[in-house]
Amino acid sequence: MKRLGALLLAVSLAGAAAADDSAFTSSAGLGSAGGAEIYSHICQGCHMPEGRGAVGAGHYPTLAGNAALVSWQYVAITVLNGKNGMPAFGLPADQVMETRTVHLSDAQIADVVNYVRSSFGNRHKDKIAASQVAALPHPGVP
Amino acid sequence: MEREGASLSRRELLRMIGITAGSAAMYQAMDGLGLAAESPYKGPIDLQGAPQGASVLILGAGIAGMTAAYELRNAGYRVQVLEYNARSGGRNWSLRGGDTYTELGGFTQTCEFDKDLYINPGPWRIPYHHQGILSYAKRLRVALEPFFQVNYNAYLHSSSAFGGKPQRYREIKADYQGHVAELLAKATRQNALDAAVSKEDREKLLESLRAWGTLDKNYSYVSSDAGSDRRGYKKDPGGGLTARPVPSQPTGLHDILDSKLWQGIPTGDTYDMQTALFQPVGGMGRIGEAFGRELGALIRYNSKVTRIHQDDRGVTVNYVDTSAPDTALTAKADWCLCTIPLPILAQIPMNVGPAMSSAISAVPYAAAIKVGLQFKRRFWEEDEHIYGGITYTDLPITNIGYPNTGFFSSGKGVLLGAYIWGLNAMEFTAMTPPERVQRVLEYGSQIHPQYTREFDNGVAVAWHRSPFTMGCYGMWSTDARAKHYDDLCAIDGRIALAGEHASFIGGWQEGAVTSSLDAIGRLHRRAVAQGAKA
Repeated sequence: MKRLGALLLAVSLAGAAAADDSAFTSSAGLGSAGGAEIYSHICQGCHMPEGRGAVGAGHYPTLAGNAALVSWQYVAITVLNGKNGMPAFGLPADQVMETRTVHLSDAQIADVVNYVRSSFGNRHKDKIAASQVAALPHPGVP
Repeated sequence: MEREGASLSRRELLRMIGITAGSAAMYQAMDGLGLAAESPYKGPIDLQGAPQGASVLILGAGIAGMTAAYELRNAGYRVQVLEYNARSGGRNWSLRGGDTYTELGGFTQTCEFDKDLYINPGPWRIPYHHQGILSYAKRLRVALEPFFQVNYNAYLHSSSAFGGKPQRYREIKADYQGHVAELLAKATRQNALDAAVSKEDREKLLESLRAWGTLDKNYSYVSSDAGSDRRGYKKDPGGGLTARPVPSQPTGLHDILDSKLWQGIPTGDTYDMQTALFQPVGGMGRIGEAFGRELGALIRYNSKVTRIHQDDRGVTVNYVDTSAPDTALTAKADWCLCTIPLPILAQIPMNVGPAMSSAISAVPYAAAIKVGLQFKRRFWEEDEHIYGGITYTDLPITNIGYPNTGFFSSGKGVLLGAYIWGLNAMEFTAMTPPERVQRVLEYGSQIHPQYTREFDNGVAVAWHRSPFTMGCYGMWSTDARAKHYDDLCAIDGRIALAGEHASFIGGWQEGAVTSSLDAIGRLHRRAVAQGAKA
């Protein structure tokens, strides 16, 4: 049992390293990513570490303490469809090439919505599930 | 048709088709003659008859804004340009030693390249048929030099093929071509193509396959002098007693197919990448800098637009100086050409109709990053004989671009260490600049092991963190273009938009130039129709 535990640990460490690395080489690594990982690998590029947002000629909204996050639907619809220059992350996997964006599953979108609504000092208690994201309008669906 | 004695010139033929059959037929004919796909740039714009005292306010001193300012000024308009940055050029930009760049989030980098070394974070090549941007480079006396898209001695690299060892482009190309020619010759000789190839064409096809693929007398692709003359020799021919060349061995078809390196063969075949391509001597930013010098005091820098308002008398733009953001400033003009990138424009209050407004919000911007790496010596030239051009890899860095200038110079050199799109670009954007450089070094050292020893310093520009664009360029989907493109380009009252986002040449400077000329042509006609103070 002990040996099996050590073996499992070794496998999961290798898996973690591979997942971390493969996230940079294909959508395969992304497919298994959860909310925190998606935030730190994708969202944070614009919304910044700790959801600080940023201001230049325009701005990226601050997510920390952002009142709009009270509505999970608002956040989920924004992630699904994009907004202004922000790409849509809810396009079907076979339609992302045209605009060089990325497909996130409904479960991943639920996960990242839950993550931003419960991180950076945000304390929204209601967690959503993939089925709730699935019920929202998706882009690229005729 | 240019031949002497031809009864009809090409232009005359097209004119006749246009008259008798309408413009759609003329377009088809043009397409057949290979004309329609060219940039619509047709030489300097004619803006005669500008109304006395008429004014245009231009937002953005990038290529689109400065093209407009240059032409409208020359046509007699009163012109003012507001620019967010402290420099002209926008995405036409070179980072050089001593430059500092602060991206969104406050991450500041100082470029530590040696004198005359640079990286172009934005555009870096100009195809010969982008006659608009080329003509402005010429008029502004910006010297151009060749940009090598294809270098037969650069690499195609797959991390999972050939033990991760990079392959020379010439080897992959020659072998792929040779094997395909052999297969096709075999099928032809076994009569498998009889339904598609006439008896008469059969011999011609075989002859062409032998030449195309360097096949031997039996139509086989084997090690040979002819083959080595394409893919390179095991030992090059020389002079004297060491003269005798040794031919090289082709790589097998299975290995070529399995490696997927064939994907990299046609990179120079697309219209935008076909020889000849050019780059300004000293960096792409030389064009933006020359435009800036030419326009001088017409450009007000450090100006952040906060509101755009039009009424029946003119356009009023509120802005702040970025060094004194509490002081509200105002600029007014009869007309406004707005070249502000869409992610930013979408956040600026502007009273245009719902059609233009929806269009502005309909275009996501591409994620892209570029990383410049300075090395202590030009090892790619000294050790590997790679002079300019691009290596392509399936690693996240995607490209390694070798400098197309300063060949054989001693001292340091700067590589484009990464040019990344899509998911990988998003992930690199999410890192700090030093992390990006570090990861790019790790990946690149799989192709050039010299990286580890020779690395000096680097800079990384992630376009979604660019304070003045918030993205690389507009990524139109077919659907969004069908719904919104015409509305984006149509003049709304006194306001017209321009930039690569208002073109079918997205992400290219030619899109900015041609959209700008198109927009100011229409603004001019409207201004002339309405008189000086409509």
